[in-house]
Amino acid sequence: MLSYLIFALTIGGIYALLALSLNLVWGSAGMVNLGLAGFFGVGAYASAIATGAGAPVVFGWGVAALAGVAVGLLVTFATLRLRDDYLAIVTLGFAEMVRLVALNERWLTKGADGISGIAAPMKAELGTSGFNLFYLAIVSAIVLGVWWMLTRLDASPYGRTLKSIREDQELARFAGKPVLRFKYEAFALSAAIAALAGALYAHFQSYFSPDHIQPLITIYIFLGLTAGGVGRPAGAVAGGYAVLLFIEATRFAADVMPGLQAVQVAAFREILIGAALLIVLHLKPKGFLPETMPKAPKP
Amino acid sequence: MTRIGMDINRRTLLAGTAAVAGTLAMPAIGRAQGAPIRVATLLPLTGAGGPYGPVMGKAVKAVVDEVNAAGGILGRRIELLGEDDQTNPEAGVRAARKLIDVDKVSAIMGTWASAVTTAVAPLCWGSGTFLATVSGADAITALPHQGFLIRTQPNTTLQGRKFGEFAIAQGAKSAFFLTPQTPFADSQFNNIKAAMEKAGGKAERLIYDDKKPSYRTEVDQALAGKPDALIFGGYTPDTTVLLKDVFRAGYKGQKIAFGYSVNAKLLEGVPPEVAEGIYTISPSPAEGSNAYKRLVKLIGVNNPDPYTTQVYDQINLILMAIAAGGDASGTAIKDNIRKVSQAAGGAVVDNAIDGLKLIAEKKAVNYDGASGPCDFTEIGDIQDCQFRYEQVKAGKITLVKIA
Repeated sequence: MLSYLIFALTIGGIYALLALSLNLVWGSAGMVNLGLAGFFGVGAYASAIATGAGAPVVFGWGVAALAGVAVGLLVTFATLRLRDDYLAIVTLGFAEMVRLVALNERWLTKGADGISGIAAPMKAELGTSGFNLFYLAIVSAIVLGVWWMLTRLDASPYGRTLKSIREDQELARFAGKPVLRFKYEAFALSAAIAALAGALYAHFQSYFSPDHIQPLITIYIFLGLTAGGVGRPAGAVAGGYAVLLFIEATRFAADVMPGLQAVQVAAFREILIGAALLIVLHLKPKGFLPETMPKAPKP
Repeated sequence: MTRIGMDINRRTLLAGTAAVAGTLAMPAIGRAQGAPIRVATLLPLTGAGGPYGPVMGKAVKAVVDEVNAAGGILGRRIELLGEDDQTNPEAGVRAARKLIDVDKVSAIMGTWASAVTTAVAPLCWGSGTFLATVSGADAITALPHQGFLIRTQPNTTLQGRKFGEFAIAQGAKSAFFLTPQTPFADSQFNNIKAAMEKAGGKAERLIYDDKKPSYRTEVDQALAGKPDALIFGGYTPDTTVLLKDVFRAGYKGQKIAFGYSVNAKLLEGVPPEVAEGIYTISPSPAEGSNAYKRLVKLIGVNNPDPYTTQVYDQINLILMAIAAGGDASGTAIKDNIRKVSQAAGGAVVDNAIDGLKLIAEKKAVNYDGASGPCDFTEIGDIQDCQFRYEQVKAGKITLVKIA
């Protein structure tokens, strides 16, 4: 049971990172990114390929973050004229593109077989249970670090500018803010965080395949962030952990519901997840940890 | 009113709790003694594999119920757990971790998508849990699984060879293989090519995107070399479009496809002349075998799909391996599975109940299942399997031969 909890908390940390990434680009800058799984995949593949070529794992994570930045800039460039629903659709398409490239460029990604045996740092030295604890510590530390950084960002003039762009980008432009540059930077940073989450996942599981880049994980992160509180890093972290722990907890609901067939239990779990979101949004429309807006100082 | 209602509820609840507690306190008379043996299914109940998982689960449960009714194994009851892999490797891993870490199962069976199997396999061999899968990708048995993995699905090396040999037998000297990008596109083609070249023929291929609305350029390219046979490696939706374009191009040669793509659904979706004369090849369950007949009766499904016949064989083999090893650990299953699947000179059995009786009498058994003979190689692939050759005649799929 303990090893399962450690595992769940590690994956929860990776979800929290993804939620932080989404919160930055969607919650702060107001750009809907349905392509989260794509950036996750770019990071996982970048790090898997780099470490597969002999680079140390930490270097692989750096490569993943840089790949995230590069791809993030590219996607922003391609979607400069798009907002809201249109941007959402294109980013969804971007994730599918990443999946197709991973599927077809066999020389690079081993195609549909996926890359197995991705280096797990210190696993040989620490043993399986030691490694799991060690990795939980690394992931948790990174979540804390990114959370701290994004909270600082949020409270800074930079964060306020992002939020002003979210509220009305014409007005922000009118106030003399270089809207375009802010968008590029926010998207690139967000993509880097998602890519880092992908790299952390790949080295934890030692396996990554195009099938990992399905929209399922994007949907879970959207659920988590919405429930946690859009626009606030603490809400993102709480939502990321909460959605994973809730999904896992529903497994045990099956034990107290005798008489249901396996397929009904599977469907029931999905109902529970949907219902929980509805209830949270009904009781707490802005999530558990809603965004706080500091009052403007008196003149 | 409310108060009374609440009272009744509370009373009912108390009575219910007492009843449950009472049951727990009762001695386990008439039941198999000792801690239960835990095995689990990890099936696609939602997602792309959703149509297959539920029936597979039903087959496993039927076998477990049957063996429990006959007294369990080693004097212990079998407890069957199940999780949904959502046809997604990320979700599959989470489900497997729960089964391994919390439930401490000895064996997991039924993983369907190749990516899920590849993601789950390291957890299994790392924790000494036995894994039986129905995934087809060749790379799976090449993983360093130390014997903790078997698969009942024929690998694509075997399937590709059968396609090549069949094309030659139909008098084709050249074949063109049209396939989407799949884990087995490469090995499939290499084996078709090898089989064709062995008989003095040749083969070429083209990989296409399986979500396109039209394949005219692909078909033009395929027909440029005037091949005697076209081999289709795709799934139903893309093969439907492809066949229409091949018909439009006026192609008159042989057409060969997978049984799972050219099926009744495809025939409903195209004009009869488009699909006329296509041959299909599919790994055949051992229809007519005793195990197959038993399975049909057990789950009340007339034509169980290959995956269901395979997972039925997996649970039978795993239960017998536990009995033969006298131990319920994953390692015991690993060490004993081949002793019950292919013991030289062993008595041929087609179900776990008969097998368990013989094992109790210290006799060797050789299981022949609903999916085939179930004999495994060193790395966990099945050695041989029957294939079913069919042809579309007058809009109906008719059996040519099983060989």
